[in-house]
Amino acid sequence: MYLKQSLIIAFTLSIISLGAWELYWRTQGFYPTLDDNESLWSVQRSRVEKANNLDVVLIGSSRVLFDIQLDEWENETGKRPIQLACVGSSPLPVFHDLVEKTDFKGTILVGVTPGLFFSTTFPKAQPWEWPQSRVDYYYNRTYAQRLNHTLSMPLQENFAFLSEDEGVDGLKLKELVGKIKIGDRVFDPMPPFHEFGEIAKDRNLKMKEITVTDTAYANSIKKVWMFFGKGAPPPDKKSTMAFFLADLKKFKARGGKVILVRCPSSGGVRMGENMGLPRNQFYDDLVQQAQVKSYHFEDYEQFKNLECPEWSHLSATDAQFFTTELVKIMIKDGALTNYKTN
Amino acid sequence: MLFNSLSFVVFLVIVLALYYLKLFSWTNKKRMLLFASYVFYGLWNPPLVILLWISTMVDWIAGNKLAKEENQKNRNLWLLLSMSVNLGFLAFFKYGNFLLENFTALVNSIDIYYHPQKMDIILPMGISFYTFQTMSYTIDMYNRKTERAKTFLDFALYVTFFPQLVAGPIVRAGDLISQFYEEKKATVNQFIWGLFLLTIGLFQKVVMADTLLADTADTVFGSEKVLNFWDAWSGTLAFSGQIFFDFAGYSTCAIGIALMLGMVLPDNFRYPYAALGFSDLWNRWHITLSSWLRDYLYIPLGGNRFGVTRMYAALMITMLLGGLWHGAAWTFMVWGGLHGVYLILEKLQKRYIPFKITVWNGMFLAFVTFTCVNFTWVFFRAREFKTAWNMITSMLFLNADGEKILQSFDIIKVCVVVGLMFICHWFMRNTSLKEVSLKTSPWVLGIVWAFMFLLIAIAQGSGEQFIYFQF
Repeated sequence: MYLKQSLIIAFTLSIISLGAWELYWRTQGFYPTLDDNESLWSVQRSRVEKANNLDVVLIGSSRVLFDIQLDEWENETGKRPIQLACVGSSPLPVFHDLVEKTDFKGTILVGVTPGLFFSTTFPKAQPWEWPQSRVDYYYNRTYAQRLNHTLSMPLQENFAFLSEDEGVDGLKLKELVGKIKIGDRVFDPMPPFHEFGEIAKDRNLKMKEITVTDTAYANSIKKVWMFFGKGAPPPDKKSTMAFFLADLKKFKARGGKVILVRCPSSGGVRMGENMGLPRNQFYDDLVQQAQVKSYHFEDYEQFKNLECPEWSHLSATDAQFFTTELVKIMIKDGALTNYKTN
Repeated sequence: MLFNSLSFVVFLVIVLALYYLKLFSWTNKKRMLLFASYVFYGLWNPPLVILLWISTMVDWIAGNKLAKEENQKNRNLWLLLSMSVNLGFLAFFKYGNFLLENFTALVNSIDIYYHPQKMDIILPMGISFYTFQTMSYTIDMYNRKTERAKTFLDFALYVTFFPQLVAGPIVRAGDLISQFYEEKKATVNQFIWGLFLLTIGLFQKVVMADTLLADTADTVFGSEKVLNFWDAWSGTLAFSGQIFFDFAGYSTCAIGIALMLGMVLPDNFRYPYAALGFSDLWNRWHITLSSWLRDYLYIPLGGNRFGVTRMYAALMITMLLGGLWHGAAWTFMVWGGLHGVYLILEKLQKRYIPFKITVWNGMFLAFVTFTCVNFTWVFFRAREFKTAWNMITSMLFLNADGEKILQSFDIIKVCVVVGLMFICHWFMRNTSLKEVSLKTSPWVLGIVWAFMFLLIAIAQGSGEQFIYFQF
């Protein structure tokens, strides 16, 4: 048995083939990115435990992730906020967790994407289940899982082929195999969905440049929004409002501050939102009952004409502008404080 | 900690480095292995290491007393203590809610209003494995079939040895403790072979089970619809493959890691899907559990010493309890019961209509056995009887209008993977990996090894738990 020889051959071939695999994907335009998974979220969530009254926590859906840029926020206020927004999610489960399971008394910025905020309180519905699964993971994660995450970061930062992306941009073996289609035995109405954001260690997320420069790429994402828009169940304003207001009351009572922000949308998404969840019936009612500082992009001249490349999120440049201007407005309004010493 | 995780890679490198650097004496190396095993377990849930300690202490004390005690009554009491503590842990942590639910249903059925809250109990990982392993030591001591462990360190390491702690193989004291008495060091060939086995185990788990089969099984068994024939069979076959690759993968990893430390663990799987009948199946599937059940349950229940009826009863009880060992649900009991029925029918066939097995009827028999096993997996995987029943009726063509939920490629993928697995088991049924590798050119072995490693890396297992951790 020549096991030594086999080991040397296996080792050499493994290095060569993995190198070739990495190189291949790089030539296809892929590059190393971090995964926005529950471990990354939990690292930020754990920062809330040590946060003080001066800290700001951002919660909401992908619009808060894309549109609020942490560098710009820090430049304007001197404090870097904690980013806990999750894609495709209602902010209510995370807000509930912060109110019930922490003694945080600082500021929570709640992103109000009407279709998600007013969607549901049903635990098995996706807008609720996704953020709740992250909250649950945070409490249940093992030391081994924490260690795995720490060890995986340098690998994710250096290898393009290591990616948890799913669907058309997925590079995992499961995703590559899943792309093979033979016939159409079961009709899949979901259009192909490209990843269009890149996240950093502190969960600061920026839109990929290709979404701005490649119209076809942006259009493929618009199709997904239209698909979701058509299949969305009716909003459950009564339950969601009641749930949020109960937590809000408790949070305010212990000295916490909440800011409501409606981030920009445009094109077909905005049209759909205006039709299905009219501002006066949903957002305005929420603001009126919540009695907290609130900012709707339509109310500010500088935001009115912001165009989202795929109708729902701002490009990286526009997000920087939006954050800078929004923070300035909020500081002026007394909703935020500038802690910069110089 | 999971074998298919980055933290385990780092852990193993550190353990191997400390083991092979000439820093420690053999006793200190064993202490290091014991400490590493507690870290391995504790990184999942540190407080539950206490259960391991209690189990270790109780069986160490009971074993020592049994080694000296001559009075039969006292011997019985020491055995009873060990059994009570170990089975008590199992009863509380694993079966607590199941017992409560059934008790509630029972009293409610006689119009007594009682609705207790479900207990919030964490199931300690691998509790069924390490309690069975420690109990085997005490029972063997009671039956004077094994020597007392020389030192507490040897015994504690036997209970906690990290490669097989959470999902076996369930090792007998005589097979493992004696390996700790003298310094062990893997030869270069053993070490490389261990590494090769670790790669195969990870390949089975990460690529075959998690990447190629798990999603199809989850989709089918997670569906609340009455399914089409092809979908139901694809889901069942996918689970059949998944559970084999998942569990055999774990055992192969465990054997490989132990071998890298110079320790030999027993085989747990010998190409079970090529079994010719059910006795053969249980000599090939989870071998260390089936031999445990045979030695500590079936034989004490009478085995084949008291006539046919008693033998069938002992067989049925063993299989039913074997089913319950896997999980606290009636579906697992049905799974065990079906295997019990198969075994009894097979014994009847051998008695009344015996026939000679040739290559051709052998392959047919293996196929029939595999098909029957697939029906049992439905009860093993389904969480509710309704799901299991829907699946079984669909598999028997009884739901002509069943829904289609899988794409054509998913069905082809499952059929190809499981078909290749079956053929591979058939050709390997009378040989071993070691024997085949001896006949294989080092180049071919190296290429196959690299290919498996590449697929593991590309699959990027996201640290899915091994199915048997929950048992």
